[in-house]
Amino acid sequence: MVAGLGKFLVRRGLTFIPTLIGVTLIVFIIAYVIPANPVKAWAGGEKASQAAVEMIKKEYHLDQPWYDQYWFLVKGLFTNSLLDPLNQEPVFTNIGNRFIVTFQLALFAFLFVVIIGLPLGIISALKRNSATDMTLRILALIFISTPIYVIAYLFIWLFFLHWSTTTLAGIPPSPPHKITHVPVIDALLTLDWSNFVQQVERFWLPGFTLGIAAAGVLMRFTRNSFLEAYSRDSTLFLKAKGVPKGRLYRHVLKNALVPVITILALQFGGLLAGTPITETIFNLPGIGRYALQAIMYLDFPALIGVTFLYAIVFVTANLIADILYAIIDPRVRF
Amino acid sequence: MSEKVEELEAREEYEMTILDRVSDRIIDAFASFINIFKKDWRRRNQSKIKEWKLMAYAMNRSPPALLGLFIVIIYIILGIFGPYMAPWSYDFFPVNYNFSTQLAPPGSTYFLNVTTIENGYIVHYTTNIHYLLGSDVYGRDVVSILLAGARTAFVLDIFIILIGPTIGIILGLISGYYGGKVDETIMRITDMFLAFPGLILAIALSAVLPTRIQNFLNAHTWAQTLMLKLFALHARDVNNLGKLLAVFVALVIVWWPGYARVSRGSTLTEKENLYVEAARAVGLPTRTILFRHILPNIIGPILVMITMDFGGVILTEAGLSFLGLGAVPPIPDWGNLINQGSQYFPQAWWLVAFPGIVIVTVVLGWNLLGDGLRDVLDPRTRRSLEFKLKKKSKGGESSA
Repeated sequence: MVAGLGKFLVRRGLTFIPTLIGVTLIVFIIAYVIPANPVKAWAGGEKASQAAVEMIKKEYHLDQPWYDQYWFLVKGLFTNSLLDPLNQEPVFTNIGNRFIVTFQLALFAFLFVVIIGLPLGIISALKRNSATDMTLRILALIFISTPIYVIAYLFIWLFFLHWSTTTLAGIPPSPPHKITHVPVIDALLTLDWSNFVQQVERFWLPGFTLGIAAAGVLMRFTRNSFLEAYSRDSTLFLKAKGVPKGRLYRHVLKNALVPVITILALQFGGLLAGTPITETIFNLPGIGRYALQAIMYLDFPALIGVTFLYAIVFVTANLIADILYAIIDPRVRF
Repeated sequence: MSEKVEELEAREEYEMTILDRVSDRIIDAFASFINIFKKDWRRRNQSKIKEWKLMAYAMNRSPPALLGLFIVIIYIILGIFGPYMAPWSYDFFPVNYNFSTQLAPPGSTYFLNVTTIENGYIVHYTTNIHYLLGSDVYGRDVVSILLAGARTAFVLDIFIILIGPTIGIILGLISGYYGGKVDETIMRITDMFLAFPGLILAIALSAVLPTRIQNFLNAHTWAQTLMLKLFALHARDVNNLGKLLAVFVALVIVWWPGYARVSRGSTLTEKENLYVEAARAVGLPTRTILFRHILPNIIGPILVMITMDFGGVILTEAGLSFLGLGAVPPIPDWGNLINQGSQYFPQAWWLVAFPGIVIVTVVLGWNLLGDGLRDVLDPRTRRSLEFKLKKKSKGGESSA
């Protein structure tokens, strides 16, 4: 079953390197075309002294030719010596602190995606072409069509202002014992109940908001995948054999879930990268907001770090999806 | 000659509804229109026209798709005529004349004592302004901004979809058809863009580009006038165009890679067909093979994607202006209204609610239409419908 998989992985892995280099190059080009001088903004606005500007220029090699600047940024990323000009911390230290928040947010969103998307998609497929199916399909489309910045305020009004079932200020401290470094999982593992409740209270609504569009996508995907599996010859054979309906559906479901699992990997990657607006609205200090801030302050060392991380996330999600697919369907390996 | 062909063909009768007759008329009119320019087009493409009619019948039997089509048509009409239907101009700021018009709740009416300078004369008049859906921070009527904002959304939407996917499709066709080094190069670049989160790239570009574009606009007056006409803006807003166009460029750059990948995939399988080899053997130029032979055969799923992306562009564009990029006041924009409302939430709930409803409705309309198109373009569902519709063919009658 795993024959050829190693080779496939190596070949697939090699194509990442140009992609990752390319992503940093894109940011670098964006930074290069801006007419405004970012150094002044870093040094503290228009009133910055000439000496400070010169010093920063030297520190970030901005007085060197472009290839030298690029090399400085990339080398700094890998050795974690690249400092964020706005708070003088290494870029990846900044990102690491914030990534935990984003990861936890994506985790909550993912939970909602699976809880909402899978069952409703299966129900929709089982009752295909009925009124239930029609309602669920339109519901899925509404989920997809509703932008985060609209649904977020609806939810804030409902769950925060009306029923106060969530908190929107600050973030709860992480539990003292660190095992996975993700607060909510640590709290669960160390049975720190009060902290767990705090984490859930703070994160469930942003997660729900972030996940709702992806849940709509998953609903549609699950339905189509189920119907596709249902129309296969093997199903016809089982039907002809007179297998009871329950067992027939279990068989179809097993086949249908294969592509669904691969799409879930991609969706988790998408959730991790799709947080900027959610984090801004719900006031969560994650990497999405960090990226937004970096763009607003023309803080390109930070932006290059964040996008590098995003690219790694995307590429890894793609890789996981491909590996799952390659295990399931050996034809793609060759 | 042409009459004979029609006679030879078996007469098929369908159960027709009024909508079917309307869609038949539209398609016939379209065919006659092309016939004016291309001689004999209608006769040579009879089967194609029949197929189109059948697609329309399938569409007419799907209520969600019809609802989507209805919403989309309204959106297009408002996108073209919206600014002229707005009761108040987008750059009329009542807050200058009566401070309490700021964030006026829906259904309220205010008295204005207006003094302006028009053509060098001081004009003085009084008027009442009624806020059906409330007012924004500048006291502007939300209804007017929604109507005028339809133009902003529509123009950006149409042009982004016209350019972005076209670039993607052409690159995908070339990449899939030629293969080898060309394919490798194009796909690596596509991968780069796909690995870059679209929203972040769009935000970064629309934050960075405005000055450059503004400089270009200031140097080229014809471009300025064209843009002002397109977006139905007044001449004094010329300095805000740079930001608006930055969003346009940003979204075009974000929107092509997906299409490149999809059309490359379909081209790869499509070019193995015999008809492509035959076309090559006859010595047709590659351009003809790509655009006249391969493209029409792979366009189906891409059309569905394009339809749904019309909604996607609206979402992203409004998202960018929600973040304060792109359209800034006084340029009318749906996302910008939500941006204002978010700062005064929940007091000014109408600034989030009404633009939100408009955005959701329009995007839902495109998605419903896209979903309907997918069913219509799928030959399997269309065929099954064909059999359902056939009331009586000649054979059926005799056996009955």
